[in-house]
Amino acid sequence: MQSDGGRSLRMAREFQRGHKAKISDLTAGTDLYVGVQITAPGLNFDISCFGLDADERLSDDRYFVFFNQPKSPEESLQQLGPQAGDTESFRVTLDRIPSSIQKLSFSASIDGDGQMSQVASGYIRLVAGGDEVARYSFQGSEFSTERAMMLGDIYLKDVWRFAAIGQGFDGGLDALLRNFGGEVAEDEPAADSGVAPGFAPPAAGGASQPAQPAPGFAVPQGGGAPAAPTPPPQPQAPQPPQPQQPQSPAAANAAAPTIAAPITPPGAQPGPAVPAPPGPPQPPPAPPQGQAVPPPTAPQAPPFGQPPGGQQQPPPAPGQAIPNPFGQPPGGQQQPPQVPQGPAAGMAVTLEKYREAPTGQRWTLQNGQLARVDLGIDGQPVLARQGSMVLYQGKVDFSHKGAGFRGRIVGNATGQEMQLMRCSGGGQVFFAEEAGYLHPIELQGDAICVSAEHVLAFDESLQHEVRRIEGHGIPGGALFTMQFQGTGTVVVKTQGSPVVLPVTPTTFADADAVVAWSAAAQVVVSSQVRLRRQAYPGHSGETVNLQFRGAPGNFIVVQPCEV
Amino acid sequence: MDQQLVSGCTPAAPTARMETHGNSMLRVVMQSGQDLFARTGSMVAYEGFVQYDPNPPAVRQMASQWLTGEGAPLMRCHGDGMLYLADYGADVVVLNLNEDSLSVNGSNILAFDAHLNWGVQRVKGMAKFSGQGLFNVAISGTGWVALTTRGTPVVVDCGRGADETYVDPDALVAWSTHLKMKGKRSFKASSMIGRGSGEAYQMGFSGQGFVVVQPSEDSTDRLRARG
Repeated sequence: MQSDGGRSLRMAREFQRGHKAKISDLTAGTDLYVGVQITAPGLNFDISCFGLDADERLSDDRYFVFFNQPKSPEESLQQLGPQAGDTESFRVTLDRIPSSIQKLSFSASIDGDGQMSQVASGYIRLVAGGDEVARYSFQGSEFSTERAMMLGDIYLKDVWRFAAIGQGFDGGLDALLRNFGGEVAEDEPAADSGVAPGFAPPAAGGASQPAQPAPGFAVPQGGGAPAAPTPPPQPQAPQPPQPQQPQSPAAANAAAPTIAAPITPPGAQPGPAVPAPPGPPQPPPAPPQGQAVPPPTAPQAPPFGQPPGGQQQPPPAPGQAIPNPFGQPPGGQQQPPQVPQGPAAGMAVTLEKYREAPTGQRWTLQNGQLARVDLGIDGQPVLARQGSMVLYQGKVDFSHKGAGFRGRIVGNATGQEMQLMRCSGGGQVFFAEEAGYLHPIELQGDAICVSAEHVLAFDESLQHEVRRIEGHGIPGGALFTMQFQGTGTVVVKTQGSPVVLPVTPTTFADADAVVAWSAAAQVVVSSQVRLRRQAYPGHSGETVNLQFRGAPGNFIVVQPCEV
Repeated sequence: MDQQLVSGCTPAAPTARMETHGNSMLRVVMQSGQDLFARTGSMVAYEGFVQYDPNPPAVRQMASQWLTGEGAPLMRCHGDGMLYLADYGADVVVLNLNEDSLSVNGSNILAFDAHLNWGVQRVKGMAKFSGQGLFNVAISGTGWVALTTRGTPVVVDCGRGADETYVDPDALVAWSTHLKMKGKRSFKASSMIGRGSGEAYQMGFSGQGFVVVQPSEDSTDRLRARG
């Protein structure tokens, strides 16, 4: 679902304690900004980064980045100080971290007296290219007398990953150091490359600059920092262009405006909703073994019209493969039609691109028409339209979920009650319905109204209620919508690629085609339809138009199908 | 006539026996001696000299278990030329089998090489109660197969977890034949999943292999509409 104004509307992924994810799933960037914010009246924190080796030891003191040593030798780790609402911030350039360093552990320790339970709240977040891509928030109530905590890790396990740790530690900074203590080892820079969003601290306020191929490192706009005013940039930080943010940076916990942001659609995304990623798209996964793109170098088969001599061409060497079935034929080959009989790589390779997307997130868009939920993450049940499950793995329990009292009202009024089922347990469930395009919308404390027939599934944690919009001319007397509020994900189904329009003083939509709108927008049943009917007597093509009113920032989603 | 607008839709030079043109059209390079079985009525165009033999003896024999009582929904195509097939705008997936074997839901098959080993199986278990096809086609050997799916399919590995994989039979397209399959019926009164009757059933797969699932529970057998 695209947003208005070309803003990148990806919402940061909220991590819970213990969650892990590949950084490549969060962002294509390798130049990360790590921000830590801790609100604790009267307490001072030392926030530091330990660069650990494969044995989780601090074998090289130069990779202990803290207030006295603000950067590592090759500057892949830098401490930047407070900025953009963060109490402390770091710059991590993943592809410059030497191979001896396998884990970066970010920790906070109390300087002076105090204990972690006095902390009001805090978070650690990852920002790439100005977009916040991950955030792990914690509360002081999760701790007691600890004097330090490990906030999160960025660690290398095949690929770089991020883990939300949130583990308290009884001693202070010295105990942490002792915990990691070790010997000195050599380092050797690891090389990697790739065009990716560059490093830029978060654009506070939720808006982000348009995706750029590789935005350079940039210091965020000041202001709004609770801890300290934005200091002048650290001397070691390279200072390329600052991204100009029109909006004033919001404070740390400011919720982004409600935005429809598809969750990373993996692999093929035939669908409509291609969010503006925080950078160039991720490089395609490496082709599987044995898959070669060019057509087999098999002997040329005669063009059709000529009877072939022998039907079976001698097979080319194994490992030669078929052309990508959906793709364009490999360029420039003007060969007569061949009838390759070769032992191409077999169907496993052909099917490779339809493979299940890697797990890790709670909601994953498998392709434009299939959404997968991993119930094991959060352990929280999902409510879904009955019959929308196409496949599940694991121990999932499906039970009937009545639509509740209000739902029955809807059912009585419209003749079709919304039938829900509750999916609980552990495992993965795939949802789809009639090959409609699916759009997971992640809500972070905000609200959205979705036309009832376009709701496919949603997290049970969301509060939902049924609303009716009355007006003359609406079939059934009223239009029923479900309003969702809270934190969680709603999967919305559309027929065809939808359009997302900002709400302006003159925004109208057909009542049959509107799919969803931000709940702050006010809906007015428009009288335009009457004018039309008068203008064309007997014309009954248009049903009812809805007019939307609201402050800037609201949006509506309209599908190209008026069912 | 200005053909600029449609010029983007001209077919590319063929590079393989079976290819897709766009998402939902299959193009087969026909050569005599290499016959093809295709779903009856799926031909949308052809160039060259291609002949069709509806209800060929081989198929009639194979399809004696077809159960539907109507003619076999496959035709044998032979000749030289270019054959275009489609099925009501469904997505087409082309597979190249290399000594592989797979079982395809009968209503999801579009075409396959005649030299492949194939057989019609009655669907076991609960799936026969679904509105989907009553048969499936087991295909093995080396050659080309084209499937139709409603929407972009997903391929799920069954061997990934210790748990079985359960599929809504209406959404099931194909699976590797060496998977163990069983029907699962949920007897809980409160359990209401699956479409239609309210009787919940899924098909459970276990073992090493994969399952192809489409994002739609379209249970109408489009063969029947053709008569």
